[in-house]
Amino acid sequence: MSDRYYLFKGCLIPTRIPNLEKASLIALDSMGVDHRPLPGATCCVEPIGLRSMAADTWLVTVARMLAIAETDGRDVLTLCNGCYLSFQEAWHALQEPAVRDKVNLILSGLGREYRGGVKVRHLLDLAHDKGEESVKSLVRRDLSAFKLAPHSGCHVLRPSKADLRERAYAPRMLGDVARWLGSRVVSEEGWPECCGGGVASVDDGVSTGILEDVCSSYRRSGATCILTPCPFCFSQFDLRQKGGLPVLHLSELMALAFGATSEEIGLRYHRIKLRPIGDSP
Amino acid sequence: MWQRLTEGVRIEVIGTGSDGPDPLGELARCHQCGQCAGVCPSQRHGGIKPADTMVKLHLSLLKADAPELWLCAMCNSCTERCQLGVSPSDRIQEMRGRATLAGHCPKSFQEEAKLFMRTGLAFPNSGLTKKLRKELGLTELTLEAKTLEELAALVKATTLGRAPLER
Repeated sequence: MSDRYYLFKGCLIPTRIPNLEKASLIALDSMGVDHRPLPGATCCVEPIGLRSMAADTWLVTVARMLAIAETDGRDVLTLCNGCYLSFQEAWHALQEPAVRDKVNLILSGLGREYRGGVKVRHLLDLAHDKGEESVKSLVRRDLSAFKLAPHSGCHVLRPSKADLRERAYAPRMLGDVARWLGSRVVSEEGWPECCGGGVASVDDGVSTGILEDVCSSYRRSGATCILTPCPFCFSQFDLRQKGGLPVLHLSELMALAFGATSEEIGLRYHRIKLRPIGDSP
Repeated sequence: MWQRLTEGVRIEVIGTGSDGPDPLGELARCHQCGQCAGVCPSQRHGGIKPADTMVKLHLSLLKADAPELWLCAMCNSCTERCQLGVSPSDRIQEMRGRATLAGHCPKSFQEEAKLFMRTGLAFPNSGLTKKLRKELGLTELTLEAKTLEELAALVKATTLGRAPLER
């Protein structure tokens, strides 16, 4: 695994929630991570709708971007669960030489080839791999007033046959990082819950029902805020939730802990506002 | 791949066998234990019933235009829980691909696919995007012409380029 990354920002963050992009850049710079934008990036062919419509389109699209990353030997770093699963499952499929040969036949028309190198990372496992002492040493603001309910989101956990970094049952990485950043974790995940985002564009009733199931359990836990590493879950919680439990993306909690101001990272763009955070670390 | 059954009306049915969605026989392993149903968040709210869907698929009774196919939130809970390796969410993904080629994809996903083919992104790079990015001091979001040309070539060479999408 290299320590140099091509940052893959995806679609949802840069188009609709660029405040999460800003927070991510601050978090990565604060950790001294060597990153630059992935050249020639397109959508990852998200794993809910697009990929199921055309699985071969998904595989060659991701293979093209892995081939680009491979030319500079930089691992791909994602900020979104959907992007992470899309890249990781494609990477996994492309380790099979017969599959890679077929895909490379198509990529050869673009003058590209993927040899099976580089790895795929998510901001969550990158932060966890930094380790407790390293993360704690970067904290510049007291976040102990935050009582968080960690919500890992499906696609960083399932299916485990795709060799995802986090365990599928009772995940702990997100809660660990939240504690290292100085916040309190008031509920632990058992069987990780779905936010309902995957069906939001097809059936509002089903989606909202799923969302309310998970939100009500977080409200009962006494949490003052949900924490998620996924921008799709973030959008569900912030834009479609009936109650008023605020949500933070992992990048925002990291940036705040590392000393960024709420103005800098655009917390004002949240629909459900957080309680004011003292801006002098 | 697609069987035609004639019983008063003609319906399209998703088939099984070597060219069907179950070439490795995973569906035959399903014992209807209901683990997938128990963890499915969609079933609790009137959406897809994964155990029922697996039976219908195994018996070639699943219609290509079955709305339930698209009521799966693709959370992969069923695949994670299934002890017999049936991987229901994988089967549902494959069926969605077949349904799409048969012209039975929900409009919202069709619109997403068209946007992806046109712009390389699954969400619009809108005026609001530009405004927000400027306020945050971020660079403008652009995709180079060469990137879009390469994407168009990949789409043309694969299934999405052949999918019958509404104009």
